[in-house]
Amino acid sequence: MKQAQAPLGAEIEGPGRRYFDDVVIDNLLEAMLELTAAVWTHRDRAMVLEQVLSRLLAESHGAPDIARLLEQHRPTAEEQEARRLERDALVSQVFRSFARRPAADSAPLGAGRRYQEPRPRAEQAS
Amino acid sequence: MRRDWDGLLPRTARLADESYLDFVTSFRARAVQQMYPMLEELGNAVVGREHPAGTAPGIAEIQRSLDALPLVRVWQRFMRSHQEMMWRRTRASIAAEADQWLAAMRDAEARGPGRLLYDPAFVVPDYARVEVHLQPGGYTDDPLGGPVFHYGTHVFYQGENAQDEQHVEMARKAAAPRDGAVRRVLDLACSIGQATVALKQRFPAAETWGIDVALPLLRYAHLRAAERGVDVNFQQALAEQMPFPDRHFDLVLSYILFHEIPWRITERVVPEVARVMRPGGTFCIYEFPNASGSLSPVAQFLIDYDSHDNCEPYSREFVRADFHGLLRDSGFDVAPGPKVANGFLQSIVATRR
Ligand SMILES: C[S@@+](CC[C@H](N)C(=O)[O-])C[C@H]1O[C@@H](n2cnc3c(N)ncnc32)[C@H](O)[C@@H]1O
Repeated sequence: MKQAQAPLGAEIEGPGRRYFDDVVIDNLLEAMLELTAAVWTHRDRAMVLEQVLSRLLAESHGAPDIARLLEQHRPTAEEQEARRLERDALVSQVFRSFARRPAADSAPLGAGRRYQEPRPRAEQAS
Repeated sequence: MRRDWDGLLPRTARLADESYLDFVTSFRARAVQQMYPMLEELGNAVVGREHPAGTAPGIAEIQRSLDALPLVRVWQRFMRSHQEMMWRRTRASIAAEADQWLAAMRDAEARGPGRLLYDPAFVVPDYARVEVHLQPGGYTDDPLGGPVFHYGTHVFYQGENAQDEQHVEMARKAAAPRDGAVRRVLDLACSIGQATVALKQRFPAAETWGIDVALPLLRYAHLRAAERGVDVNFQQALAEQMPFPDRHFDLVLSYILFHEIPWRITERVVPEVARVMRPGGTFCIYEFPNASGSLSPVAQFLIDYDSHDNCEPYSREFVRADFHGLLRDSGFDVAPGPKVANGFLQSIVATRR
């Protein structure tokens, strides 16, 4: 039986909710969360990277000074371009809230103020 | 290449997903364990000051009082945002390996020891097709919903359920019938079958079933059980209209089902459970609390917030309903059940008369 299909993720991809009279505060707090998540993700990766590298190089190079090797590294143009793309993606991720709720009235207020019942997915499709 | 499993939990597609979601987990732990108690203390004090003892403020009045606390709005913002971040990243991570997940679930269908049963003509009722907890597609509409739900709830449980610990505890503590006879067991609204498998391990000789309305979850439940060689059967079915004969089960377990369905459906489910249970059988229920009168103002606010802003559309009517009365009227004797790690939940043993 084929049932009506609404796009997945209306809740997480729509305007979401707003809790402050000034929506910019909502956006800033959300950006802070994304920023911290990004900082942790990169720090975590760097820690894993250093572990993997020193285990790998322990045999051939004794105990290598990973930090010094990183400072001395010279990227190729290709590598620089790849890093630029990653950086742009980080910027979009951290600042997505501002595009998501650009105007003061662009999202329903939170609980207890102006509440809309969630619509069943079948209705959303029609 | 799938990065495989950590015991019973799938690893994310990429290290970066794991790091990101680890952060969300830590953040959630802080919001739940540090911010919320603070909010509770400050919030109950503020409401208490504005409403003299003996008067019971309604939810609108509670909200008006709490609105004065900046912490309340920040907390609401953080709860909503971290939940969205969790699903967005979990879904993206599972989707990066969509083909492998779908193939694994399809291949498992032909494998036992247990069976996965569903009717292609089954129609999911509209009330069940909401994005509960903000999960994309809800329980029913995303073919990847099983692994997405599993990793998402791993974050929700703040890492404390990575090896099904909470489900194992509930199954282990479930009250067996007094006469000790347990031949057939049902996990009602079993989702991904975590308690179903734990029940089978507790009662190895019993024929064990898990039913749920959501096929994507059941496919994953079956994959997990088949991988572990556990003989449990899953079937797509409605709790209010079960494909089982009268007096069939000795023990039925339900974990956090009733606050997630409309009360009018609960009024059909409870008599239906009574129908499929034999006299003396035990219905072990772990659920949201009832009787909002006995909840603190901030606890009422929390349930209301969760209902509005975390897409739990039916929980408010459940919390205010006479669930124990419905159980009694449907043929059960109602008694308190065992205490479990999650202290927010009520635990009930309803014995079929
Ligand atoms: C919060 S989950 C239950 C958690 C689950 N018992 C566990 O052990 O983790 C609620 C479940 O109820 C299911 N459900 C909702 N309405 C239902 C119905 N009418 N019949 C059967 N299952 C239903 C949903 O698909 C979902 O899997």
